[in-house]
Amino acid sequence: MTSPLDALSGPGKPLVAEPPDATEIAGLVRSGRARLADAGIASLSLESRFDLAYNAAHAFCLAALRRLGYRPRHRYIVFQSLPHTLGLGPEVWRVLAKAHDLRNLAEYEGHMDVEERLVLDVIEACAHVSTVLARQI
Amino acid sequence: MGNIMPDMGTHSRQHRVSEAAALYASANLSDALFTTTQQRVLASLFSAPGRSATVSELIHSTGAGSGAVQRELARLAGSGLLVVEQVGNQKHYRANPDSPIHDELASIVRKTFGLASPLRAALAPMAGRIHAAFVYGSVAKRSDSAASDIDLMLVSDDLTYPDVMATLHPLMERLGREISPTIFTRDELRKRIRDGGSFAVRILQQPKLWLIGSEHDLAA
Repeated sequence: MTSPLDALSGPGKPLVAEPPDATEIAGLVRSGRARLADAGIASLSLESRFDLAYNAAHAFCLAALRRLGYRPRHRYIVFQSLPHTLGLGPEVWRVLAKAHDLRNLAEYEGHMDVEERLVLDVIEACAHVSTVLARQI
Repeated sequence: MGNIMPDMGTHSRQHRVSEAAALYASANLSDALFTTTQQRVLASLFSAPGRSATVSELIHSTGAGSGAVQRELARLAGSGLLVVEQVGNQKHYRANPDSPIHDELASIVRKTFGLASPLRAALAPMAGRIHAAFVYGSVAKRSDSAASDIDLMLVSDDLTYPDVMATLHPLMERLGREISPTIFTRDELRKRIRDGGSFAVRILQQPKLWLIGSEHDLAA
């Protein structure tokens, strides 16, 4: 019986099997929490709050994947696999995937156009991932 | 039954179609032109460029009977609207870009049952909270590939990304394409249009596929 995550791992696929490492996971969670807290600082620019929330979400989602014994080959898959790692639906993972797309546009095409709505929604989705992950650790 | 008010505006045309009649007409354009099976087969093959499918894939994705699907495919291929490729022991069907009416048909499919209708239907539960909605970017410009995201602009003062993602997710699964929504409040949109930056140019001057509202709603 292969799990959906097993089906995604192997040569040429987005995941690689690698035993979990407690120190790595603790580091990711610590970094995610620090950034998530800072993303809530209203005096920062929207761009900075967006970066902080996005990177916090990436750290939490990566921790969830590492906990189950996988390492991603690219960043997008950590969000896409949230239904399988933490049982979260499109209202969470697709918001984070959207943040990922925007971050790529900003990094590679110099196009940054975040509005408050998106930043607040990314912070909320990230906080949700953090809560669900904390229950499982 | 009609209680159609005369148009008292500045329009010179005498018989302007009322909004209700226009809505009725757009909901039935598809049925006026094509049977349900035709709509489903055309939507599968003409709404995303370059997509090809086997008979069994089309029977599965359209939910139509195998006889009906095979008859449509034979007719469409016979007229040159589809090309058939033999791959191993399977026939693969795809839209024929060299057909003289390929572009027009693809455009009709997108404006009706291929893309606009499913998007409108998906947004219907939240339509009361949306002032304007349109597809822009490569899909609206018709320069997309099967892998391109569908860029969707939503003008709404209170919709959130989680609402929209949860609502659009089933459609993304069904179409096999990502929909990338952007939500702007009316104030943000006005501000961006006033600023006249790259965003405003990109959005306003490029072709749009309207789902809710019209060009007029952006000017306000």
